[in-house]
Amino acid sequence: MDRKLGILTLVLVLVFGLGSIVTASSPDTIVVGSGAEAVGLDPRLETDVPSFERINVISESLVTFDTQMELVPRLATEWDFSDDGMTLTFWLREGVLWHDGEPFTAEDVKYTFEWVLDPDKAAPNRALYADIGEIEIENDYLVHFHLDNPNSFLLNNIARMPVVPAHHGERDDFRTNPIGTGPYKFVNWSRDDVMNLEAFNDYWGGEPIHPYVQFRAIPEASTRLLAFEAGEVDMYQGGMVPQELPRLEDDPNIIVERTPGTGYSYLGFNTKVGPLADVKVRQAISRVINREAIVDRVMNGIGTPGVSPIPPTLPWFSDDVYDLGYDIDAARELLEEAGVLGEDLTLRLFTNENPDRIRIAEILQFEAARVGITVNVTIEEWGAYLSRIQDTEDYDIFILGWGGQLDPDRAMYRQFHTDGPNNYTFFSDARLDELLERGRTLDPTSQESIEIYTEAQQIVVENAPYGFINYTEEVLIFHPHIEGITVHPYSANTWQDIHLVRKN
Amino acid sequence: MFKYIIRRLLQLVPVIIGISIVVFMIVHLAPGDPILMMLGEDATPEDYARLQRIYGFDRPIHEQYLRWAGNALQGNLGVSIRQGAPVSTLIYSRLPATIELAFVSVVLAVLLGVPLGVLAAIKRQTPVDFFSMIVALLGVSMPGFWVALMLLTYVALNVGWIPMFGRGGSIFNGFWQLITTFDGSELYDGLRYVMLPAISIGTAMMAIITRLTRSSLLEILGRDYIRTARAKGLTERVVVFKHGLRNALLPVVTVVGIQFGAMLGGAVITETVFAWPGAGRLIVNAIQQRDFPIVQGGVLMMALIFTLVNLTVDLSYAVLNPRIRYD
Repeated sequence: MDRKLGILTLVLVLVFGLGSIVTASSPDTIVVGSGAEAVGLDPRLETDVPSFERINVISESLVTFDTQMELVPRLATEWDFSDDGMTLTFWLREGVLWHDGEPFTAEDVKYTFEWVLDPDKAAPNRALYADIGEIEIENDYLVHFHLDNPNSFLLNNIARMPVVPAHHGERDDFRTNPIGTGPYKFVNWSRDDVMNLEAFNDYWGGEPIHPYVQFRAIPEASTRLLAFEAGEVDMYQGGMVPQELPRLEDDPNIIVERTPGTGYSYLGFNTKVGPLADVKVRQAISRVINREAIVDRVMNGIGTPGVSPIPPTLPWFSDDVYDLGYDIDAARELLEEAGVLGEDLTLRLFTNENPDRIRIAEILQFEAARVGITVNVTIEEWGAYLSRIQDTEDYDIFILGWGGQLDPDRAMYRQFHTDGPNNYTFFSDARLDELLERGRTLDPTSQESIEIYTEAQQIVVENAPYGFINYTEEVLIFHPHIEGITVHPYSANTWQDIHLVRKN
Repeated sequence: MFKYIIRRLLQLVPVIIGISIVVFMIVHLAPGDPILMMLGEDATPEDYARLQRIYGFDRPIHEQYLRWAGNALQGNLGVSIRQGAPVSTLIYSRLPATIELAFVSVVLAVLLGVPLGVLAAIKRQTPVDFFSMIVALLGVSMPGFWVALMLLTYVALNVGWIPMFGRGGSIFNGFWQLITTFDGSELYDGLRYVMLPAISIGTAMMAIITRLTRSSLLEILGRDYIRTARAKGLTERVVVFKHGLRNALLPVVTVVGIQFGAMLGGAVITETVFAWPGAGRLIVNAIQQRDFPIVQGGVLMMALIFTLVNLTVDLSYAVLNPRIRYD
């Protein structure tokens, strides 16, 4: 017995002793360490950003956003709206192959969007495409979308829906074993661990530089960072620990790229309840949000103070709006005008377990006390919190954020139109409704579009259904041996050109 | 013995039915809505109603339960709402990683904890004893996630061949490969990855085992029959190991069994820190996403395994102490 144990120990010692394998990633493979695992890989069914980060390497949409947030050709080479805005025509790229070797044609485009629009299918994002009426194929590489309602921003939504092959789309396992036209083919996926992709050498955009790409899901930010610093992953993405950023930026062996993002966080006011029905009270609370302190100390300088519902990355952004910046004296005056200064004003603030939001809630509690408002903070688990905000009216103030605000319609219609599906503040303004409806029918590149949304922002900011806290910023961290990657303002598109990345 | 096992297995039936009802009620009555979580930002009320219908959440709750339970009886735990894959496949794909981690942690804890405890007991009130007890106290005092982060920072970062995260080969397959083909590469790969998470989980358990072994052995060594054994001239080694330790191990085995069972579902924090693809993370993620079928199926499977582990522990008493018989 003892001898057997001895032999086993010897074997183990030998095995370990011989181990000279070093865990650094192989030179053939680009390893991406990301904070969250994908839910699935079927563009028709997913709604989360981590899924689309991976989908956008395997599959491609007709058009996409480049790092300047301009729409650029992908599977479509050209597109055009008819003069009445009711037909959108796409000229498709010829010579594109699916990963199984079949050619990509207009049939696939028609199939994808008709599937999404089919009320018997479970596409959660159907509403984004609801204005599409009929899809007409003129030939294999020319397709017309006939619209039921004019929608100038439809292209932005189409940019978020990669095309699915008609000859594979009905497969039961498509969600975990997809086929696309993108630069890398799906190989295998062990969920919550590793997803392996292999170069598609017949890619229309040229042969990818590196043969393999690997996505590793590492939920714990400190582990991800250590793995990155140890060289086990080449690029770090998602869920930055803000306190670590200054150290990383000082390290010459690490490249930190930052760019303003497409989201923001905000305080939402329930405009139906008691004192918050008064615009002066809402403006007063907006004036006690110490935005600079929040960006500096909670976010460690990541992001910028919030001003309006449109992120500064978009051309429609305007800071020519009513000033509701941090000013305690002004807040007191507003409360006095509202006739509630010195009264015992108590409000309930809700947030989820996000640690940054909890700290923001604490800062707000402190600042609000300085003008005599008692804020009671309740922290809820995300699912329960979401149900409260979406299904009930049982809240005074809440902290939430929006991501992927790619156009002004997306950034304002759902949130502030009287009938908007995400109007959790119950705000209603006839002039604003008119502007938001008109904006949908205008050419997005026109001066009139800019003017309309500037006025809309002015109405929203002055009436303060939201108190804007901060704009997000995207951070991408990689080693100097990685070349050809640029941080993307819309993180779902970060890896869409990973076939051009070189690892030295 | 056989009858006893059958009886215990039959007792499982009401337990499992009870658990299934409780879990079903908790997930359905707690706040949070799977469709809302899935729809994301762009949905309209029509989308909501459409998906409720497609997934069957518009039916009365007892009807939903009966339909689910009926399928579960036939071995069909349903399909994940978010991942679209059968729940049984998802759980099955995760269980090996979970069991492997729990197994290695237990082996580590027992291999270190029992000898340390024995040493402390026979060298009572000496520096060896004090040292063992300090190690044990440290072990129970350090939270697992902290041990994990320390191991990452001070061990993995400096030792090139120890990975930071993820899972390598399966150690069970690897072991089989080693004894059949003398190829230790998969076992080595598996051990490399499982080592740090297993130490993080095993530390606290090792400490508990050390303390328990020590106190249990001390108590046994004070018994009359030990005095008799010594009096009839047996060597100290035979007294301690054959007569003492074997009896002292009964409570240790109980604790090891319970801990092993608890690890199957409760290693979530360690699994998260080391990005270990275990079943705990699958279920916790499912709770966060309100993916009801995975939660229901996962908890049911865990409960089943836990009770089976307990049964095995009970049966092992008979091996340790022949006076215990089951009939």
